[in-house]
Amino acid sequence: MRYALLVQGAPYSHQAAHSALRFASALIDRGHRLETVFFYHDGVYNAQRLATPPQDEPHLIEAWQRLHHEQGTALLVCVAAALKRGVIDERESRRHDKQGHSLAAAFELTGVGQLVEAAMTHDRLVTFSP
Amino acid sequence: MQLHLLNRSVASSHVYQDALRAMGDDDYLLLIEDGVYGAVAPLHEHFASIPGRLYALREDLASRGLEGRCAEQVIVVDMEGFVQLTEKTERSVSWF
Repeated sequence: MRYALLVQGAPYSHQAAHSALRFASALIDRGHRLETVFFYHDGVYNAQRLATPPQDEPHLIEAWQRLHHEQGTALLVCVAAALKRGVIDERESRRHDKQGHSLAAAFELTGVGQLVEAAMTHDRLVTFSP
Repeated sequence: MQLHLLNRSVASSHVYQDALRAMGDDDYLLLIEDGVYGAVAPLHEHFASIPGRLYALREDLASRGLEGRCAEQVIVVDMEGFVQLTEKTERSVSWF
């Protein structure tokens, strides 16, 4: 089946991202496809390019990127939730006349309409909240 | 048929009452994260109205030192069991 996950918890603050990542690997092990992960509310901090956790702690941002590279999972970040929290890509950075950008590679800023579309086009949508 | 996910302890949040009220007769409830505290006696008694349909996630029990301390009415599943529950239910609802 085609799965989508909705992640609303910030990394290292709540268990949501850990739970979602463990669920992701379990569903892949069962032969399903994880096509989309949508990051909303404080979940957008999962897309922080500059996140630098200690080496003996899980690197959650890289774990999401691995899903993208190995499974082709789309990592969609709500643009409205992201920008107001300082999670911003190069294009938005230029548009708002900011210095630098903070969205990690493999993540993309999208509208919340993409979440509605994911709910309609995937077989399952599972929400992980703080 | 729906799967309800609860990640709050019944000792710290009343949202479990909303979840129970919303549950249909063939729905399941899976306790995850801090929700697994509700799987331990006497807190499991809050879920007496859904016999046979109460699950708890093994990993979250273990990380809280609660594995093996579950009430016997609670069905313990691992992450694969969590995925299986989402396979057999059309939708999942997260309560938090």
